[in-house]
Amino acid sequence: MSFPILSMLILTPIIGALTLSISSSTQLKNKTIFLSGLWITTGEFLLSLLLPIFYDKSKNGYQFIEFHTWFDKFDINYYVGVDGVSIPLILLTTFLVPICLLCSINSIQNRAKEFVIYFLLLESFIIGVFVSIDIVIFYVFFEAVLIPMFLIIGIWGGENRLYATFKFFLYTLAGSVLMLLAIIYIISKVKSGNIELISDFTFDQQIELVLFLCFFASFAVKVPMFPFHTWLPDAHVQAPTSGSVILAGVLLKLGAYGFIRLSLPFFEYASIYFQPMIFALSCVAIVYTSIVALRQLDMKKMIAYSSVAHMGFVTIGIFTLTQDGINGAYFQMISHGIVSAALFLIVGVVYERHHTRMISDYSGVTNVMPKYSFFFMVFMLSSVGLPGTSGFVGEFLVIMSTISVSVYLTFFTAIGVILGASYMLLLYKNINFGDLKSDIKQLADLTNIEIFYFSCLAFLTMLLGIYPKLLFEMINKSISLSII
Amino acid sequence: MINLFQFIPEIFILSLILITLCFGLFNKDRAISLNTLGFILLSILLLNYGKDFYSSTQITLNTINLFVLSKIILSIGSILFILLLKRPLKNENLYRYEYVLFLLFAILGSFVLISSNNFLTAFIGLELQSLSLYLMAAFNTKNLSSNEAGIKYFSLGALSSGFLLFGISMIYYDTGSFNIQNLDNFTAISEIGLSLVLISLFFKVSAAPFHIWTPDVYEGSPTISTLFFATLPKFASLIFLFRVYQELNISDIKSLNYIFQMVCAISLLVGVYGAITQKVIKRLLAFSSINHIGFMLLGIMSYQFMSEGTLFFYLIIYLITTFGIFAVLLNLRTVDGEFTKISQLKGLRFTSNSKSISMLVFFFSLAGIPPFAGFFAKFFILSASINDGFILLSIIAVLSSVIAAFYYLTIIKNMFFNKSEIELLDDNNKTGKVMFISSGIIITLFFIYPDPLINLVDNLFK
Repeated sequence: MSFPILSMLILTPIIGALTLSISSSTQLKNKTIFLSGLWITTGEFLLSLLLPIFYDKSKNGYQFIEFHTWFDKFDINYYVGVDGVSIPLILLTTFLVPICLLCSINSIQNRAKEFVIYFLLLESFIIGVFVSIDIVIFYVFFEAVLIPMFLIIGIWGGENRLYATFKFFLYTLAGSVLMLLAIIYIISKVKSGNIELISDFTFDQQIELVLFLCFFASFAVKVPMFPFHTWLPDAHVQAPTSGSVILAGVLLKLGAYGFIRLSLPFFEYASIYFQPMIFALSCVAIVYTSIVALRQLDMKKMIAYSSVAHMGFVTIGIFTLTQDGINGAYFQMISHGIVSAALFLIVGVVYERHHTRMISDYSGVTNVMPKYSFFFMVFMLSSVGLPGTSGFVGEFLVIMSTISVSVYLTFFTAIGVILGASYMLLLYKNINFGDLKSDIKQLADLTNIEIFYFSCLAFLTMLLGIYPKLLFEMINKSISLSII
Repeated sequence: MINLFQFIPEIFILSLILITLCFGLFNKDRAISLNTLGFILLSILLLNYGKDFYSSTQITLNTINLFVLSKIILSIGSILFILLLKRPLKNENLYRYEYVLFLLFAILGSFVLISSNNFLTAFIGLELQSLSLYLMAAFNTKNLSSNEAGIKYFSLGALSSGFLLFGISMIYYDTGSFNIQNLDNFTAISEIGLSLVLISLFFKVSAAPFHIWTPDVYEGSPTISTLFFATLPKFASLIFLFRVYQELNISDIKSLNYIFQMVCAISLLVGVYGAITQKVIKRLLAFSSINHIGFMLLGIMSYQFMSEGTLFFYLIIYLITTFGIFAVLLNLRTVDGEFTKISQLKGLRFTSNSKSISMLVFFFSLAGIPPFAGFFAKFFILSASINDGFILLSIIAVLSSVIAAFYYLTIIKNMFFNKSEIELLDDNNKTGKVMFISSGIIITLFFIYPDPLINLVDNLFK
């Protein structure tokens, strides 16, 4: 296809952001700005829908390829293309960004124009990560994501936002620069940044281990895996609702995507070598952060810790190095992207009305907000992994694939599921049931806009839970290629 | 018979000096704008006929290209500087044509320094340059800190010149020659002599541990002079350092190479650790420049990878960024005088869109975060150094740039996240505004479309 659809996907939000920034801010109302942002992002979503329609599932390799020379001298090229692994994540991104804008129409009052601009830039950078098949532009987009996110948390965040946003930025940057060195080393060896060529190249075993660790440093911070996860609760708690949504929904997937797209095919020996370490870290992540989540007083923090636990499933699944495992991990990524985004929106709804996130401040919400409790239940159950919701498929596949590796691993992951159910149910019980507190009696139920986006998200969870083949059809072939 | 043809750029500047001296007595505005024209003419001359000036000499083609390119950069830099200097000097009641004279002398010194093949000529060039810089530092004679900066700069600079002379004399004692090329048979004495020369040059480019003067001089001098110190003379000294490294094959001399690596590592670390706690923006920029010097030294050491390309890419991006940052700083004033503290930047986002966004671009570019050209500048330096096997130094370099990101972010935090506490006045300097906006755009454009810059560097080194 000659139509440069991927470049269009990257450029549309940037052009939109530029147009918005040129328009004078004093004359535009907040609502107009948000509406124009919504138009742009919805257009982007429709545009991205072309990808699965025109994607040929029977073919191997990348499609919609575009190639432009960037730096002749260094063999750095603008080289983009998609395969089955990237398309669902692109769709997830383009789907979540309009929702982020929708949910902040009322909550973001000051500097609305900047807010929309940063979100548009963020969207195009994230899409850039998913479509790049040259390692340098992958890194460029991977890093560039930090800038708008830094500003979003820093400007519209909560009280302790400076600490959180600095921690977020520096943690991620410290991980990424090591990857940068590894990338430079790889390019100096392979003489090309093309991902496919690098996959065919075999490194010296000792060096491969070091290179793997450099990549691991970057992705493990992004995922986040156990010892590197401490930035996540802070960033989530301080970020505005929309920031949390995009952070949990998409940004965390960048790390897991990096593992699937780069680490596995590049470092086959090292991936097997470090398998036990990653399993150990993931098990700790699952059990430890679940226990931590049980004792949280802040709703957002609890969901943030649950994110770490759920991403632990993803890393375990990826490093089982089996088709089922990676399929399950990928499914879990998408499902977690939808469900955790929805849960942060759920928290955002009550926070916007009652201005507190403490669990103890809520009780008996179901009496005043029945529709809200309904959607809360759907997403809570999906997060727990009830059959019929998307959460079940991923967790099930991952747990199943762990049996072939070690029964102990299965044991710990299964414990994670139980713990997950306990803290989510506890959260749901404490907020929705019990005596109605007097100061939340006047809370209004969901507005039409909120019902609209919650039903979109709920529909997707159910759809993927009932008909998971939809996703597997897309990813099966591409994933089977990246397995050793 | 000396062939005067190769001295045309220097003679051109000398005649500009004489004209300005005479003309400035009557009309300083005209004299200054005459200099702008003069430098535009010089840049055009160098662009078109630069290589012909040196064609009759025995200098290798690569070195000629180095001369021409760096002289072009210096003259373009001078144009920008002369365009910028009027308003800031007027604000301080310092608008006198002598300032431009000092600038011209400094540029003349830099030209001589860059193209000298002889240690003595280099010494003369360096002294001519430095003496003008001391005067520029102390130009605000009524201000105590400006005087202090001048004296400090002068006394330490004189010390380093002493080192230079001593080193040169040791080399002369050993080899019987002042020429930079003919030092094949090294003995311990000329090694020591050369290390003294290097120390003096490290002092001029403010590489740690010879950097002590930098923060004080940066802070005390008038901001417009600080801009000058941070860019053009430093660039010239760096080019000369590069030439010394290249022509004398310092990479083959173990001890000196060791010194080079140590200085590079120390600069990278001292730069970032010094900058973290700074509250005055010019001091912070001083320390950050030390960190960047570390990167440039890394580029000098690994020049073989892409000839001079990596170094020049970095230098040009760094110069543009520094010009942009200072153009913003010069455009800001507080109610009671010059703008100094980082905390005074608070809330800049609300008062000025263009300034805050340009600053955002500059600082993210300095931190080496894409999508700004600073990323590729660092990327190239790192790929050159990794290809040449400086793995440890590269790791130090990237880790230092993470720490550096912290204090750049602090500045951005002040501009974007905090509410303003004091009123910042906009100087409404049109040239300054054009300058920082265009630098911001260039920094972004060179990231997306770096071909013009790469081609420029490439064509000159082929």
